[in-house]
Amino acid sequence: MSVPLVLLPSDEVPQDHLPTNNSNPLRLGPGLRILSQPSSKGSSHVLTATQAGLLTTDAKRNTVSLLSFPNRRYIPTVNDFVIAQIHHSSVDFFHCMVTPHTAHALLGQLSFEGASKKTRPMLKQGELVYARVQSVGVGAGAEVELTCVNPATGKADGGLGPLTGGMVFDVSTGMAARLIRASSSSAEHNDAIEGLVVLSELGKKLESLGGFEIAVGRNGKVWVDCSNAAESAVKVTVAVGRCLQETDQQNLHPHDQKKLVTKILRDMKLVS
Amino acid sequence: MSKEAQLSIAERDFILEALRENVRLDGRQPDDYRPLNISFGEEYGHVNLQLGKTNIIVRISAEVTKPREDRPFDGLFNINLELTAMGSPAWESGRTNDIEAYATNTLDRIIRHSNALDTESLCILKGVSCWSIRADVHVIDYDGNITDAACIAIMAGLQHFRRPDAVVRDGRVIVYGVEQRVPVALNITHKPLSVTFHTFNDSKHVIVDATLKEEQAAEGDLVIGINSAGDVCYLSKYAGAPADAMVIVKKTNVAWEKVKEINAAVEKVLQADLAKRAKIGMADESRAENDRLVQIE
Repeated sequence: MSVPLVLLPSDEVPQDHLPTNNSNPLRLGPGLRILSQPSSKGSSHVLTATQAGLLTTDAKRNTVSLLSFPNRRYIPTVNDFVIAQIHHSSVDFFHCMVTPHTAHALLGQLSFEGASKKTRPMLKQGELVYARVQSVGVGAGAEVELTCVNPATGKADGGLGPLTGGMVFDVSTGMAARLIRASSSSAEHNDAIEGLVVLSELGKKLESLGGFEIAVGRNGKVWVDCSNAAESAVKVTVAVGRCLQETDQQNLHPHDQKKLVTKILRDMKLVS
Repeated sequence: MSKEAQLSIAERDFILEALRENVRLDGRQPDDYRPLNISFGEEYGHVNLQLGKTNIIVRISAEVTKPREDRPFDGLFNINLELTAMGSPAWESGRTNDIEAYATNTLDRIIRHSNALDTESLCILKGVSCWSIRADVHVIDYDGNITDAACIAIMAGLQHFRRPDAVVRDGRVIVYGVEQRVPVALNITHKPLSVTFHTFNDSKHVIVDATLKEEQAAEGDLVIGINSAGDVCYLSKYAGAPADAMVIVKKTNVAWEKVKEINAAVEKVLQADLAKRAKIGMADESRAENDRLVQIE
C-alpha cells in the first residue's frame, strides 16, 4: 500500500486498492459493506464504506477493512475479538457484557475448547473471557453471539477462552483496532502509517523483567498480565496500561511514544 | 439500567493487590489528586472544571425574590445537582439515584450549612425582597469523585460570580443593569472544600480522589469537609467498612493540606481571569471613547 486512502460513508472502494490475491475469498472487515448494483452488464458488486476511515488491506490474509476513528462506542462486527465480562449464566448460555449498558451478548456454555457437558468451564459473575463475535443477527434487538472456539477446527485459536488474573484497561475502540493490526505479523509495513510502536517498545524494555501477556478486545479493552514478572508484576502491568492509555488519549507520534515508555518505566522505578 | 456496570473480578483483585504495593492505576500516590483544570466562561459564575476525566460545569445565577417568612433577613441559596444521561450511561434523566442524593446532601452540608455564602448579605429589603442565588451543577463526564469536583467548581463559581447592584430608594427596590453599575461580588465567609477518601483492605490503604474503578473496588468512603483555616465543617462515614479513628485524624490533616493547595490553585485561576476581564473592559471603554471622538468631528 503506497498512499493511505481515506473513505467517507457511501464512498466506493476503488478496485485497484483491493488485494489481488485470488486464492482465498476476500474478507471484509468492519465499516465495509457489499452492495449489489444492477448495471448494463448484469449485476456487479460494489464495496461501499459505511463509516469514515482509512482503508487498510492485508494481502496475505486477503482482507480489506476500514480503520475508523477512535469512537467510544463499540458496535459488534462478526469475527471481532472482544473481551467480555460474564454477567450471569443460564442453562445453555453465559450472558456477557461486551459494552456496559447494552444488551447482553450470548456465549454458549459449550463453545469452549474441548468443552462437553461435564468439562465445560464454570464461569462466575464478573469473570472475563476472550471471545470472538460469531454472529450479530439482523435488525434491532438482535442478539450478539460469542464463541471461544474456531468452529472449523474446534481449537481455541489466538488465545480464546477465560482470562484469569491480570488487569483490564480501557482504551478507545480505534486504539484497540490499531493494536490488533500492529500485532498481526503481516502488517509490519504499515507501521509508518499507523505509527504504533508503544507495544514493541514496551516488549523490548520489559523483556528482562519477564515480559507480559496481552489480549486486545475490539470493544476497547486491553487485558494485561505479567505473572512471569514475580515481584514487579503489579508495577509492570500498571506501566503497560498507562503507556497504552496515554498513547491513546494524547494521540502520540512514534517518537513521543518511545519517550513516554521511557518516562513511565522510570517513573514506576522499573528500569533505571 | 440505572446502575453502574460492575467491576470484573480481575479488575477488583488487581486494584486491591496494587494498592498493597502502594501503586495506583494511573501512577498517582495515595494522597494525590488527578490534574485539576478550571476555566471560566464568558459570563460571571460559569465554571468548567476537569478533574482527570470527570468533567463538571457549574452555573451560578441570581434573581430577586421574596425572602422566607421565618427568615426575613436572609437571602436564598440553593444547589441543584442533576445527573443526566450525559454524564454516564448508567444514569437516567428524571430518576434519582444514590449518588445524586448523596452528593446533593454532601454539597448542601459542606457549602450551604457551613454558611460559606453569607446569606444575610443577600437581603435587599427586610421581608420584601432578597437575592436568590442558585448553583446549577451539570456533570458532563463521570470518572469518580463527583463530590469533590462539584464542591471545587461551586466554590470557584461563587467567588467568580458578580450579581447586579440593587439599592432601595423610597421603599422601592431598584436593580441596576450590569452596564449601569459595576456588579457586586458575593460575600464569601470561608472556603470549605470536600475531600473524599476511599478505604481498601480493612482500611489499611486509604486513597484520595478515587477514579470510578477505584470507587467500585473500595470497601468504604470517608468525606471530610474542611476550609483553608483548618475548620472541619463536615465529616461523613456514610457507608462501607469501618475506619479506624486514627485514620480519620491523619486523613483530616491530609485533607487540610489538599484544601489549601486547591484553594490556592483556584485563587490563581480567578485572579488570572479577573485580570483578563479588566483588560478587555478597559479596551472596550477606550473604544467607546474613540467612537465619541469620531462623532464630534
